[in-house]
Amino acid sequence: MSKVMDLSAAVALVKDGDTVAFGGNVLYRSPVGAVKELIRQGRKDLDLVKTAIAYEVDLLCAAGAVRSVTAGFVGYEGEFGLCRWYRKDVEGGTVKAYENACYSVITAWRAAVYGVPFLPIRGMTGSDLLEHVGFKTVKCPYTGEEVVAIKAIAPDVAFLHVQKADEDGNACIIGPSYEDLTIARAAKKLVITAEEIVPGSFFAEDPHRADIPAVVTTAVVHLPGGAKPCAVSGYYDIDREELRAFQSAKEPSAALAAAGL
Amino acid sequence: MSQNDISRTADLMVTAIARELRAGESVFHGLASTVPHVAIQMADRCYGKNLNYVNITGGYKMHPDKLQVSTDGDNLFNGTKCSFNLTDIFDLAARGRLDTAFLGGVQIDQTAHLNNTCIGPYEQPKVKLPGGAGSAVLVPNAHRALVWRTKHDKRTFVEHVDFITSFGNVDKVFTPLCVFEKRQGKLELYLLYPGVTYEEVAENTAFPIGNDYKVMEDLTEAERACLAEIDPERVRDTEF
Repeated sequence: MSKVMDLSAAVALVKDGDTVAFGGNVLYRSPVGAVKELIRQGRKDLDLVKTAIAYEVDLLCAAGAVRSVTAGFVGYEGEFGLCRWYRKDVEGGTVKAYENACYSVITAWRAAVYGVPFLPIRGMTGSDLLEHVGFKTVKCPYTGEEVVAIKAIAPDVAFLHVQKADEDGNACIIGPSYEDLTIARAAKKLVITAEEIVPGSFFAEDPHRADIPAVVTTAVVHLPGGAKPCAVSGYYDIDREELRAFQSAKEPSAALAAAGL
Repeated sequence: MSQNDISRTADLMVTAIARELRAGESVFHGLASTVPHVAIQMADRCYGKNLNYVNITGGYKMHPDKLQVSTDGDNLFNGTKCSFNLTDIFDLAARGRLDTAFLGGVQIDQTAHLNNTCIGPYEQPKVKLPGGAGSAVLVPNAHRALVWRTKHDKRTFVEHVDFITSFGNVDKVFTPLCVFEKRQGKLELYLLYPGVTYEEVAENTAFPIGNDYKVMEDLTEAERACLAEIDPERVRDTEF
């Protein structure tokens, strides 16, 4: 049965207070179209999870939709600077930053993929993140070695923006896949937004094309331009004008207006 | 700094890093890492070091024709013969197989604690910084961490960092003035760039810098020519 939905129905899978994960990385293949729809629908108190994030978190903070952010890096690269609205909210105490190492975010998703409550990780020794973010340690029952235990994070809903998907929810990523394959398997509900809907025969010709198997997909949305102003490999580059307009706005409402909201 | 000064500093820093890299070693940089990226290209293409170079996009041994400011996009992936993604890289480091990782530090102290998290207390930060990305695991897990920072002042090289984001195997720290080396647990001046004085480094560093250092040999004509060829648009200047 077809899992194709319109954007508003797919985004309505998210409830206030949900944990939401996004695919892509910083300015590449970020599911911005879905994020803008979350704002249009007025979602609140979202707990966001991603390894390295920029525009999505800044848009959602400008809209007052965020409760916490679990990430290793929150900022743009190079010319686009810092995430102003995220910073303002964290410094003002209205958004809680759970700063991680990117690897601990990945490990939290992997624990969800494996269906276990936590996974041990090597590293983070000597970091103040342990105490201040509340990571706990565990002793290996075999060797006695003390390791950091990363609690599982199974996102209520994850959004991935990809180049090609079929109506069953198989999806093909062109270019860097970042952490999308792990996120897809960790999420309770998975929404794929796609530049193109292709016939199932595209995947039947070579099932290894399905980076995301339909087994784990909840909804598919045909959303050309669904990562703009971020880039999509093989389709479009970063729209520097929209990002600059957003970054130069002095008030959250003006920033949202610059993003077409 | 004038544009000439920026270009001169970028060339020295990139060259110091490129010379430091060891032939055949595995090396990683993350996003927003223009200076180490150009240095890796220089190490491979000027010195033939044949690095096992991995990056955040999953690309392996990438030598793009045109270098970009961003080090997170598909120009560091397109044309790769295999995809070895960020999770693979972290796993490689965790099992002790990553030689060198490049990490940044907004604040760095004498014991080579790196702070990329916040200025002021974590719970009520005066400034929330972008975060350490992979550094809390890569600094202890990689055999060595090479740190770079494109500012050298007492707000960067502090007595004590406000927050320890990461700690571990820092080996060297590259700045616009010099290179520090960690010796017996403490950062000390290792290499002074030509044209920079000892006093300049001492005055801009909030911890004692020691007295055991050399002056870096300036770029050779061959190095200048090679850098001009691999990075004609000088993306390496954009981090300053």
